[in-house]
Amino acid sequence: MSPAAALLALGVLAAGPGEPAAVQTLGPRAPGRVRRVVTLAPSLTDAVLALGAGDLLVGVSRFDEQPEVRTLPRVGGFVDPSVEAVAALKPDLVLVQLGPGNQRPVAALAALGIPILALRLASIDDVLAGLRAVGVALGHTDKAEALARALAETRAAVRARAGGFPSVRALFVYGFEPLVVAGPGSFADELLRDAGGINVAQDARSAYPVWSVEHALAAKPDVVLDATHGVGGREALQELPGLRQARWVTLPSPALLHPGPALGQGLEELFRALHPVVPEAGR
Amino acid sequence: MSVALAPRRFAVAPGVRFSGGRALAILSVLGLCMVAALLASAVLGEYPLGLRRVLLEPLSVDATVFWRLRVPRAVLGAVVGAALGASGSALQGLLKNPLADPFILGVSGGAALGATLALAVGLTAFAGPSLFAFVGSLAAMGLVLAVGRTRRSPYAALLTGVIFNAFASAAITGIKTLISPDRVGEILYWLAGSLGYESPRTLAGAAILQVACVGVLWRQSGRLNLLSLGDEDASSLGVPVDRTRVVVLVATSLSVAGAVALSGLVGFVGLIVPHLLRLLVGPDQRLLVPASALGGAAFLVLSDLLTRLLFPVFHAELPVGVVTAVLGGPLFLYLLQRAEART
Repeated sequence: MSPAAALLALGVLAAGPGEPAAVQTLGPRAPGRVRRVVTLAPSLTDAVLALGAGDLLVGVSRFDEQPEVRTLPRVGGFVDPSVEAVAALKPDLVLVQLGPGNQRPVAALAALGIPILALRLASIDDVLAGLRAVGVALGHTDKAEALARALAETRAAVRARAGGFPSVRALFVYGFEPLVVAGPGSFADELLRDAGGINVAQDARSAYPVWSVEHALAAKPDVVLDATHGVGGREALQELPGLRQARWVTLPSPALLHPGPALGQGLEELFRALHPVVPEAGR
Repeated sequence: MSVALAPRRFAVAPGVRFSGGRALAILSVLGLCMVAALLASAVLGEYPLGLRRVLLEPLSVDATVFWRLRVPRAVLGAVVGAALGASGSALQGLLKNPLADPFILGVSGGAALGATLALAVGLTAFAGPSLFAFVGSLAAMGLVLAVGRTRRSPYAALLTGVIFNAFASAAITGIKTLISPDRVGEILYWLAGSLGYESPRTLAGAAILQVACVGVLWRQSGRLNLLSLGDEDASSLGVPVDRTRVVVLVATSLSVAGAVALSGLVGFVGLIVPHLLRLLVGPDQRLLVPASALGGAAFLVLSDLLTRLLFPVFHAELPVGVVTAVLGGPLFLYLLQRAEART
């Protein structure tokens, strides 16, 4: 095993299995002034763009749809980045969202001598820490600090406003066939709590469980939040007793699904979805 | 699945005599194919290489891409392809079944279940999935051997393997529904089979294992020929039937377990390559085993090169198991048609 892979393995072990630290660096140290950045997930591209450092980007993942990066070379996906495609772009920093799937290619990149900043991005605190780390790496510390503070303030404001409303029992749905919902430990679970919701799938066994429809009926949610982007199967469930009386809301934008700087916007949207009688923010 | 498919096809064709000169010529051609595949795989790819820089500037990106990415990956492809090809050829002969592929004896199920368990509990550090896959396939092999010992027919081993694979696939589906989607994605990718970047030490270890296993299979290939006459006839000709069977089963299982641990489940190579070569060079195992090793190596290296060359199209490297199946299936049907038309 290469030294970088060993280091990565140690980091993983130290944080428990499957739980890497919120921010890790792998491979050699990034230069003081980074000029060529490759990102391996859209949320990381969002972070770079939000920091005003989009001109440093030289490659992105195949899932990136932002207009600013439409012409950039694609280097593969989240689980399967092409090591050769990344190396060919001669980056002096690669931003990675670490997952169980991409440890081997990321370790291979580090072993080639490419500096890597690996972020966990599994909670809001992770996103704040990640934003700050990217800011430091790209020399936009103040901008990152401002963004992080704005996001934290939005969060605090939403929490405070939500405190004035009765809690709403919500079911957060990622897919209808099969029924995949946000369980405990998921990103949406945390956001629901901030926005004054109670996740009815709190007793599920994992963060993104395949849930039983009967469970969903028995839970009688007040709101069903549809984050499926219209993949079908909704009609069949919508007619069932126990779900029929619920308010069905399609999430207006993917802001809530990307663990990046747009989370503040996503949180506001979620708040309005849960408490629709409230006029626009500013009250 | 019918397990009693035409054993006659596997008897040595009466007209084709084994000759050292013919074998040498055929193996040389296949060896050259493999070397050409390795060279092409090292030279071609997403990143345009300057060969001068590769050779003269060891610190350039070109040299890094060539020596630390492409060469190790091509070597891995050759090692895995040789293992699958030779094992497929030997197993088809041993089990007298044209549907036998290297995974049929439960090795794939064992490997997949092992790797899935490792990925499901988050044991991705220290090559966890590979180790678990290796242990899983050896455990499956143990089961097949234990059952095969009580029943003397080769079909006992075959059926045990098939049933175990079905069991493992159900267990994997069960595990997949219980874990988070990002891990499911990783499991799917692993199961589809793909070649990554291994350290020189890992590659050397794998190469030694495969040379030993393929060597054992080659040594047994004469006996495999005689076994195709049936157990009694082979026995009367002096073949230790049971021992030969166990030696071949252990060698193929070790070989395939070693391959699967490094590449995941790359299907079709062990099925298609021995069949193609049998159509071309005849059924004599003494030639077919080494020819399938060389041919399997060339085929897998070229398939992997294709996944890399197709990267700009899909913005993703297709799992090489997909490419071997998509290439191998039609190619085989074409050659089968031609061979049938000739006879």
